Amino acid sequence: MDRREFIKRTAAITAASYVGINLPFGLNNLALGLDAETWVRGTCRLCGTGCRLELGLRKGQPVALRGIADSRTNLGYLCMKGTLFYQLIGHPDRLTQPLYRARKDQPFQAISWDQALDIAAGEFAGAVRAHGPNAVAYYGSGQCLTEETYLFQKVMRGGLQTNNVEGNPRLCMASAVGGYLTSFGADEPIGSYADIEKAECFLLIGSNMAEAHPVVFRRLLKRKQENPAVKVINADPRISPTSRLADLHLQFRPGTDLALLNAMAWVILEEKLHDAAFIDDYCVFKAGKGDTIDLAAFRASLDEYTPEKTAAICGGNITPETIRTAARWFAKSAGTMSLWCMGINQRQQGVWANNLIHNLHLLTGQLCKPGADSFSLTGQPNACGGVREGGGLCHILPGHRPVEVEALRHQVEDAWGIPRGRIPEKPGLHTMAMFQAVNAGKVKAIWINCTSPAQSLPNADLYRQGMRREDVFVLCTDIFPTRTTELANMILPTAFHFEKTGVYGCTERRSQLTPKAVDAPGQAKPEVWIVREWALRLAKELGDPVIAKTVEPFAGLEPDVALPEAIWNEYTQKLTKGRDNDLRGATYKVLRQMPDGVQWPAATEAYARTGGTVRKFVRGLDPLADEEAKGSDKPFIFYGPAHADRKLYIWQRKYVGAAEEPDQDYPVYLSNGRIVDHWHTTSMTGRIPALMRANPYAYIEINPKDAARLGIAANDMVEVESRRGKTTFPAKVIEGPLEGMVFVYWHDMDEERMINKVTMDAFDPGSKEPEFKISACRIRRVSGPQALKPFIVTM
Amino acid sequence: MKRIILTMFFVCLVAALTACAPRSAESPRTSGHPPLSEQEMLIACQDCHAQATSQVYQQWYQSGHGIATVKCYQCHGTFEGLRPEPSLDACAVCHTRQWEHAGGKICWRCHPAHTFEAGN
Repeated sequence: MDRREFIKRTAAITAASYVGINLPFGLNNLALGLDAETWVRGTCRLCGTGCRLELGLRKGQPVALRGIADSRTNLGYLCMKGTLFYQLIGHPDRLTQPLYRARKDQPFQAISWDQALDIAAGEFAGAVRAHGPNAVAYYGSGQCLTEETYLFQKVMRGGLQTNNVEGNPRLCMASAVGGYLTSFGADEPIGSYADIEKAECFLLIGSNMAEAHPVVFRRLLKRKQENPAVKVINADPRISPTSRLADLHLQFRPGTDLALLNAMAWVILEEKLHDAAFIDDYCVFKAGKGDTIDLAAFRASLDEYTPEKTAAICGGNITPETIRTAARWFAKSAGTMSLWCMGINQRQQGVWANNLIHNLHLLTGQLCKPGADSFSLTGQPNACGGVREGGGLCHILPGHRPVEVEALRHQVEDAWGIPRGRIPEKPGLHTMAMFQAVNAGKVKAIWINCTSPAQSLPNADLYRQGMRREDVFVLCTDIFPTRTTELANMILPTAFHFEKTGVYGCTERRSQLTPKAVDAPGQAKPEVWIVREWALRLAKELGDPVIAKTVEPFAGLEPDVALPEAIWNEYTQKLTKGRDNDLRGATYKVLRQMPDGVQWPAATEAYARTGGTVRKFVRGLDPLADEEAKGSDKPFIFYGPAHADRKLYIWQRKYVGAAEEPDQDYPVYLSNGRIVDHWHTTSMTGRIPALMRANPYAYIEINPKDAARLGIAANDMVEVESRRGKTTFPAKVIEGPLEGMVFVYWHDMDEERMINKVTMDAFDPGSKEPEFKISACRIRRVSGPQALKPFIVTM
Repeated sequence: MKRIILTMFFVCLVAALTACAPRSAESPRTSGHPPLSEQEMLIACQDCHAQATSQVYQQWYQSGHGIATVKCYQCHGTFEGLRPEPSLDACAVCHTRQWEHAGGKICWRCHPAHTFEAGN
């Protein structure tokens, strides 16, 4: 066997093929620079973990990143993405000047900022004048700083009088929000990462956290290594790297986890493993849209989910005994922590799936005590902080205020000093409705900030049609070219992380500041400057002084520090007082002093300096719980704004399958997800050579039994076709997905390998989050291995 | 003959990977790694090394690094800048406190490379 044959043979476990190609990037080495002259403390730019790190500078240039050992989020650990993203600062592909074209079939022309802002104001004002306020829309990101999201939504709602304010967290976290609000009455987890080191049992469901949240996973690994008696249950239709930590892997047919969770509840009640006192003190049972039922009715409803019946529903390796074992471990441990992510959220029944996880914690009292929590992992660095808390979705105003509540709208209007009634009473268009409206030509101007819906929306080709319309003005603010900037009329270059100042709020309710450390390249600007200047022009275009009023408090402030700090102060001091996410203590001054930020609620600077609230609702740990106790003798006070009765709800939720189940024409389940080396669309990680080297293409994982049946060998090219479209990937034959299921990594910009051309755009009726994770497809071998080229969009 | 050459080649590579003296980043020409085409460089390190250096691979795979998906290139770099013996900087990215307290000692003298058995 010669070397080439050796590599060919070993390539049976990789997706890479073996014909010479040209790389689309320079061969920069992994640069380590711990001889940096200065280190600047900030937060990771990528996933929702909120790892704290330091950017190393030498001669003013970024040369390295390293973890901060004192940080309570990451304990010093970083993943490879977090180690290397400094290479994006000053990357040669960065967008550095405003670009414009009147028509999308024309080439872009460089223009000045004055010209760009005038055109942008003119287009949005023109759309409002001709078609009304709801003809314009903002589509943001869980990667924007809180200050950016807050200011955009302020101008849109208070200035342009539309609630068409959305963001890509709708695609990832909306079902978790719906679950928390309907079960606990309050969004976001009760506990913290610190519970990991106290937990005796983990339920990991719908999460490949070894790759999607590698640093959080490392904390679990350490917990398990040091305490082998700790039990880990991993529930997933696919065996993933996360499964290596599991004592029990529950591999079920996609979508049947609702039955599985109900079956665990059945066992808990049947074997009297529930915490009757906790239920009596804090819980009520609910059915339908909120009808109160009793324990007996709830229990009777679970009779459809005995372990025997459920094992038959779930298929895979699920047996009645594995269900009973999982339920017993969950209920009997001193502290059980559930962690989940997109496998639960990106579902047509995403809110219900969240409810059913919460149910297990409520039935067993595995909540509000060390090591016990129902903990949703967040996919983006500021989905919690900026978007969920800061008013970045169409139905919520800053401070977790539902937009349809008049009194809460008035609170916001008063805080902004604008006339009452200025904010529309109806929620705006949620993400899928927004892009349907773009398709229909009803939205005439859309501002897409720091995200790429042309690649990240499900059924992407359908929605790219709308973005291509010549009668829809598409404005993108971004740092790199993307599949979406290809469809834009205008591209405005923005400052990247550490090139501007602002706050990210991570999964565990923790707000952390990242300061400006280096200048943005060329003419790139912080978004807060762009929005302010655009709003002033909008006010003139529309002759509406209220629009100018929305940015008046920030007039003249320099954009690097003073402007974002003023925006943060307005949001936290005026709009979080009295809310469950009270952030008044988390001033820039305090955040600069903390190695790892502040967990809300934190009403005063003195309290914020302790780190804030590690566990919500617990008297003695949460000042707001103490304040809200009002004579109660109970240790927990559930003051969440969505449950006036201050109860936790145990929901009766029946098992409902996926929106599109396999059938004769499309007989295979299709799922998709992340890999450790890449993030989202690869617009960033695809430009870091070491990461692109590690995983240059998306590929399709196929169960060996399916591969054998279909005559597919490793590295063969396999076409995936659904009712929406088709794509082709190299095959990885692996005991990962269940038989009858394939799994595709979604990180690839190549037109032939964008999985969202195939995925399903059905969405949860409550959260409006699409069902990315399950659809039906058919697959076929189209050829042997082909020479593939890593691809990233460039100008 | 080809098999002998290949075997010798990987023996040399293992020797290089376990060399004692710390070195700075090296070019492929001096790292001891066989030349690779552009396409071959797109194959993940561990895919070849699972067979080429199976003992090292297994040590890594069963270690905390292996379970936590801390891959070869995180310490050794990619092919172009391969460091058969990592720079201590690579450890310090995540293990800052330990790095500071080690007082310049080489981490893997006490925590054997790839298994990191003691105190990983």
